[in-house]
Amino acid sequence: MINLKFKVNGKEVAIKVEDSKRLLDILRDELGLTGTKEGCGIGECGACTVIMNGDAVCSCLILAGQLQNAEIETIENLERDNILSNLQEAFLEYGAIQCGFCTPGMLMSAKALLDKNPHPTEEEIKTALEGNLCRCTGYIPIIDAVKNVLDKY
Amino acid sequence: MYNIIGKKIKRIDGYEKVTGKAIYGDDIYLKGMLYAACRYTDIPAGKISKIDISEAKNIKGVEAIALYKDIPGEKRLGPIRKDQYAIIKDEVFYSGDVIAVVAAQTKDITYAACEAIKVEYKSYTSVNNPEDSIKPETRLIHPEFKSNVVVHYPLVKGNIKQGFEESDHIIERVYKTGFVEHAYIEPESVTVIPDPTTKGYKVYGSIQNPYTTRKTVALFMGLNLNRINVFGSTLGGSFGGKDDVINMMACRAALLAKITDKPVKLTNTREDSIKESYKRHPYIMKYKAGFNKNGKLKAMKIDILADSGAYSSQSFFVTWRSVVQATGPYEIENIQTDIKAVYTNNCYTAAFRGFGSPQIIFAQESLMDEIAEICGISPLEIRQINGYGQGSITASGQKLSGHKVSLLQVIKEAVKKSNYKNQIKKFQELNKINKRYKLGIGLSCSFRGCSLGAEGTDATSAIVSVQADGSVYVLAGLNENGQGLRTSFCQIASEVLGVDIDKVVFLEPQTATITDGGPTVASRSTLMGGKATLQAAEEVKKVIFKVIKKDLKVENIEDTIWAKGFIKKNKPAENIKPIKFEDAAEKAYGAGLNLSAYGWYSSPEVSWEESTGQGNAYFTYVYGCQVAEIEVDTFTGKINILNITAAHDVGKVINRLGAEGQIFGGVAQGIGYGVLEDFNIQNGEVKSNNFDEYLIPTIKDINHIEPVLIENPDKFGPFGAKSLGEPTLELTSAAINNALAFATKKRSYQIPLTLEQVFLGKNLKKPSRQSEDIHLSKNKKLSPKISNIKITTPASLDESIDILNKKKCKILAGGTDLIIRLRMKSEQQELLNIYNLPQLKGITENNSGISIGSLVTFSEIIKNKIIVTNFPVLVKACSLIGSPQIRNRATIGGNIVNAAPCADAVPPLILYNAKLILKSQKGTREIKIQDFIIKSYQTKIKPDEILVSIKVPKPEKKYYYSYFQLGRRNALNITRMSISAIVSLDKNNLVEECRLVDGSLFSHSQRLTVIEDLITGKELNNIIISEIEKPLFELINREIGNRWSSEYKMPVFINLVKSVLKDIKDKIGKS
Ligand code: FES
Ligand code: FES
Repeated sequence: MINLKFKVNGKEVAIKVEDSKRLLDILRDELGLTGTKEGCGIGECGACTVIMNGDAVCSCLILAGQLQNAEIETIENLERDNILSNLQEAFLEYGAIQCGFCTPGMLMSAKALLDKNPHPTEEEIKTALEGNLCRCTGYIPIIDAVKNVLDKY
Repeated sequence: MYNIIGKKIKRIDGYEKVTGKAIYGDDIYLKGMLYAACRYTDIPAGKISKIDISEAKNIKGVEAIALYKDIPGEKRLGPIRKDQYAIIKDEVFYSGDVIAVVAAQTKDITYAACEAIKVEYKSYTSVNNPEDSIKPETRLIHPEFKSNVVVHYPLVKGNIKQGFEESDHIIERVYKTGFVEHAYIEPESVTVIPDPTTKGYKVYGSIQNPYTTRKTVALFMGLNLNRINVFGSTLGGSFGGKDDVINMMACRAALLAKITDKPVKLTNTREDSIKESYKRHPYIMKYKAGFNKNGKLKAMKIDILADSGAYSSQSFFVTWRSVVQATGPYEIENIQTDIKAVYTNNCYTAAFRGFGSPQIIFAQESLMDEIAEICGISPLEIRQINGYGQGSITASGQKLSGHKVSLLQVIKEAVKKSNYKNQIKKFQELNKINKRYKLGIGLSCSFRGCSLGAEGTDATSAIVSVQADGSVYVLAGLNENGQGLRTSFCQIASEVLGVDIDKVVFLEPQTATITDGGPTVASRSTLMGGKATLQAAEEVKKVIFKVIKKDLKVENIEDTIWAKGFIKKNKPAENIKPIKFEDAAEKAYGAGLNLSAYGWYSSPEVSWEESTGQGNAYFTYVYGCQVAEIEVDTFTGKINILNITAAHDVGKVINRLGAEGQIFGGVAQGIGYGVLEDFNIQNGEVKSNNFDEYLIPTIKDINHIEPVLIENPDKFGPFGAKSLGEPTLELTSAAINNALAFATKKRSYQIPLTLEQVFLGKNLKKPSRQSEDIHLSKNKKLSPKISNIKITTPASLDESIDILNKKKCKILAGGTDLIIRLRMKSEQQELLNIYNLPQLKGITENNSGISIGSLVTFSEIIKNKIIVTNFPVLVKACSLIGSPQIRNRATIGGNIVNAAPCADAVPPLILYNAKLILKSQKGTREIKIQDFIIKSYQTKIKPDEILVSIKVPKPEKKYYYSYFQLGRRNALNITRMSISAIVSLDKNNLVEECRLVDGSLFSHSQRLTVIEDLITGKELNNIIISEIEKPLFELINREIGNRWSSEYKMPVFINLVKSVLKDIKDKIGKS
């Protein structure tokens, strides 16, 4: 068991978990943040993507023991005061969602990109999202959505 | 003319999906619920002699273990023929069979209990080739059905013998397609809750067809239908896939819920999902075609063998669609088609987007191009000569009438939009110049019967209910699978009633509230369910009209307009004010009228004669044409899809955003089917058991897709709408295959068009022997899951070394490799988490070179200015590793110590003469990286040592460089091969120094000194580059010549080495 202290979506979290728990399990099972999804468990689908200390990571590949003092941001943090971020709006507007299972991960990868690079090229968008598989949309509406996010997202 | 039909409408279930609030199967949590898991078989075929659950039962926290004998109701299940088991008795039919199911208090306990269930078997020789399956001497897989043939559909039209006699040419070709995994990103999950009110069960989960689930669970539990209430959760993709498999899982969870009287959740891991779930049928298709000199088809004989796998499931229906459509959209007088589906011990096969069409279209449309070539006409002409027109007679003798037969129209639109004819000329010209990369363009077209056709009962239901305040509910007997059904149904209600779509709410369906709407399959939801919604909305409209007709002074509903929330006369008259919809609703409500209506749409008549395969198979058809433009790397066989133009007649577009989305998504799956998705199952053992082995397209594999929506409203569908979901996928692989033939002048008869398939004309797979598999399976962990680990996080490097000196630990750095491997280990693992040690981070520069801390991530490397300037090959290689998520975590040290042959950072480090600094309590030592790695996954690191940093000397002179990495797709790759090269010149422009390092070729990366020596001192020109071929061949042959993959790897690697040298030569020339 490990006593963990870290931040999720700006809030301090202190919990005790088993060593074998992954960040993904902690978010979903311990903290009830089920917006982050598991698609493969091996870093190959990106459905579990969250932002850790400013970078997109696969939460299925991070063990509890590596979370001490980390800052985590999840999909649940994107909507503020019932207002969707421009990025979320763009996903709706451009039809970047079908089944929606890849969407939280996609949005987090896109956000990690836009946080550092608000005006990415198409190539940069593709590179930022290359670790996120989507089986429904054929990706084109997703690229369009990210390309067209307004400056403030 | 419509308010909302045909426009781009945001999906109404979008909000919950972009916020993470949508509840998918595995997001369900109930207090006190138990977690279930399946104990799968260890072998693909055999007889169980003993099941021992004694150890598992005693594990603390295990609440129930259910076996075959515990099944209360029907033990044999299956949608058509009862040959399938949710829990098997003693016969094992395939590797996804379940012997026992366990429910326990935590997931970890459940998995541990599954591992603890010991099973003994007598193995059978598993039957894996459908051609063997039908041989008389082959063991019967389900003896009670007396044959391994599940179903045989014949179709006979005209006189085949005469047709061939009258033909100028006859050709025969065999086409093959493989298993395809649905690869919905959400693995299946189901939760069953005992329901004391009904004395039955509530079932939640990722369920495509709630009515089928209800029926199956009721049968299995021995209960009436009204005791089972199924609630679909938000579905994370299905594509036909979350049907039979989820029904089986629901049965198991229900049984455990019964035994424990607690809610039970059963969620598949990806590995379980791929192992257990059904696939698209592999087909072996023999086509014989007779035709005239001018290209007119005279006769066609088709024999198809479909692999049904362990169970019959939907094979009856899937192969039926194939028999109807196997000759393609072409008029042929004489036809004989026979299709058989057969049992094997492979994964079973059932519904998957396309449903028996992608296979035959691949064959049929590839064949048409070849016929055109023989006749000396264009692919376009052959289709114009033979293609269906108004009134054409199909293979099954159906006259195509009552709808617009738009085949030639869709072809014309696709050709126009893709600039097909000009592109052909352009590509031909460019191909003359470029020796390596060849461009190709190809087209394919199809007709497709809408909805279920004569395959089964075809009717569906919907309820539209207007509330007193004018708001509206829509409920449908079909399911939202992600395709956007909720949005289009709400649009339809909104259009009919003239209310804003925001006023319409789609209610979560549950099987208890609305009649069985049949399955959400066969692209039938818009056509059938949309029509039922339309009917229901029109009923309600009539009721409301009754209370307002006086006010509006009209007699007939046709004289009114319902739009934007108002009802008005269509001929505006003074002093008659439009009525607000909500006022009208309130008035009707006040008058005691029923504002709910039930729509039931039953399809028009269809017919089928089993023995001859003749009849009016479907009541209407859609037509489509796709053009593929591709680039082929002839050095490696890699195909890059440049553009797909997809023209589809949809009848009428309901939601443009949704319709285009269907095309993008369907085409992307078609690209996967055609090029990437190579499901590997050998001797019944699934080898591609996760997304690292089963490759679906990434964002970088899709370039451009151009949707062309053509509208010829159909009299049957709502507003004239027909189908779109499946046609989008079925055409792509054939178009790509035809484009490949254009590019390389070689035809392929098999998909996927993998590197090997394109380069060698055959698909290579790592061979495996059944005996080996069985041996391996004894030791393997059943469900990959991290369970038994202990992590220590030292505060400093010294402390780490101290700990390592005392006990054996695995070092955990970024974890991107280790964590994956930990999933396969059951015994306890001690980890030393060094990831945050500052001493191992950072990149520093001094006079002689740089020092890279072993914990520097790939993302840091590719951004670092010093590295970018001095070590471009390292940057290139690291930028192609995995994905940003991986590069943000994975460390250079981890990559080196792990020593996988495909480790991408290693070859450039060898290239740049890197040295490793290792530290232990005994001191620090330095070792050259090429001396450090012994072979695959083996290094000279001692158990008490830590890799501290990597020293790379700065190049003292100017090096020209080149790097090439080959992967199966354009991102998220495991490197198939790479080559790193740098060259420096002396003052006479002769090669002073040359360094070449392989990646992923030999058991560990190494310098190609033989080639380096050959080049050194010479001028780098084409002659010397071609001279390396022989010694390089000898070198590779000696090292890896007898590996299964060498037939591909040897010539390709030689091509790659030559190409990077040529690249350097060109760079020298330019400078
Ligand atoms: S679940 Fe983490 S990458 Fe797929
Ligand atoms: S929307 Fe379904 S996986 Fe992306």
